[in-house]
Amino acid sequence: MIDYDFLRSLDFTVAWTYLPALLSGLLTNILLTGIGFFCGGIVVGTLLALANLSSRRIIRWPALGFVEFWRSTPLLVQAIWVHFAVPSLTGIATTPFESASIALIFNVAAYCSEIIRGGILGVGKGQFEAAKALGMRAFATWHKVILPQAIRLMLPPLVGTTISIFKATAILSVLAINDLLRAASRLSTFTFQPVEIYTTAALLAFVVGLCISVLGYLAERALKKRGAYGH
Amino acid sequence: MDIDLILRNSGALFDGAKITLAITFVGAVIAIVGGSAICAMRISSVGALRVFARAYILFFRVTPEVILIFWAYYCIPLIFATTVSGFWSGTVVLGLIGAAYLAEIFRAGIQAVPQGQKEAAEALGLRAFPKWSFVILPQALKLVIAPLVNYFSEFLKNTTLLSAIGVMDLTLQAYLLGGQTYQYITFLSAIAIIYFAMIFPVTLYARHLEARLSNRSTRPTSWRGFGFRRRSTQDIVSKA
Repeated sequence: MIDYDFLRSLDFTVAWTYLPALLSGLLTNILLTGIGFFCGGIVVGTLLALANLSSRRIIRWPALGFVEFWRSTPLLVQAIWVHFAVPSLTGIATTPFESASIALIFNVAAYCSEIIRGGILGVGKGQFEAAKALGMRAFATWHKVILPQAIRLMLPPLVGTTISIFKATAILSVLAINDLLRAASRLSTFTFQPVEIYTTAALLAFVVGLCISVLGYLAERALKKRGAYGH
Repeated sequence: MDIDLILRNSGALFDGAKITLAITFVGAVIAIVGGSAICAMRISSVGALRVFARAYILFFRVTPEVILIFWAYYCIPLIFATTVSGFWSGTVVLGLIGAAYLAEIFRAGIQAVPQGQKEAAEALGLRAFPKWSFVILPQALKLVIAPLVNYFSEFLKNTTLLSAIGVMDLTLQAYLLGGQTYQYITFLSAIAIIYFAMIFPVTLYARHLEARLSNRSTRPTSWRGFGFRRRSTQDIVSKA
């Protein structure tokens, strides 16, 4: 069933020759992962989480609707939609990279806001009350009491989300960004050696995903050592 | 948004939705069967099988889905010297990725069954088959159902990736209609709403199941089974 003659004819030197192109594509993926994580997950995600925790319905409900909508639609559709809708709604022509970043930021923000909200809620009301009873001001309450405990709860799901963001960046290649997948598909039509190119691309992506999960594991362990786990 | 334009092309969108659902169902079957097999390997006592299952789960969880879909679509026909449709290569890849996630969900469910249950079954002299099929798995299944439903809402989102290799699912239909009419935003907004209408209820159902499960487990049951009444499986699970 397997075409052994074909397997013997595989020549991976082509992947080695074009490795710089694949790596520069991979760098785009890593860059987008960073943009998604910091701008989307940390900045917009925290704002959305705070809006969701707000006691005012006028703030909470739109935030809730936003999160639910972005979580329940596919990123591919979101990316194409942003790419066509933003220029016609605002009159500003966005490059594919910008459209992809916008879609990714909102998508990641919706997911991360739930993690952040869950982490803050997981700390428990008693901690807020205890801090208040001790006369701590708002900054000290958050900085010394709530956040150290919340981060402990958020870290494991955030690591999983970071891997998901990296995987999601590959989807954004539909917008013609020069990422790993696009580099691979261009090289494979150019060299007529798709097996070598796609296999190398998949392995490169796997290595980056593996690195992210190892880094997450190390971060969790470091946090444990620093005593943030409460003992 | 031009409702009329969407209604006039609703046939094509409906065809696309059917393909999307077909990918979901076929992929779900592959994921459940494969996930059970990988889970069995993951908790097996044979070291080689455990290592294989761990490697499988790690690989499919950290490698981007689209790259694997492209790999399968372009490489499998060459390696096996056959022709494979985009639908089948893509659906099988999504199913294999799903198997890695489901294996971990199943394992978590099995491990959440108290160790005492296993020991009790062994103490009663139950062999492997009745021990698993009448004692452990029925309890594990109850714990697994909420994350399982939740994963399928993710799975439904991943079906859109097959449009990148030319499978005529809802996304590609809308994109092509947009190209024909130059009304991209109309069709893309329409399918965004259709996807939301398909995925959101699944998410809500998963949350409902999760809430029901956690309510039951917080119910004080320690004294209820006192006496000779046969305790239900749920009471046993909830003590975990």
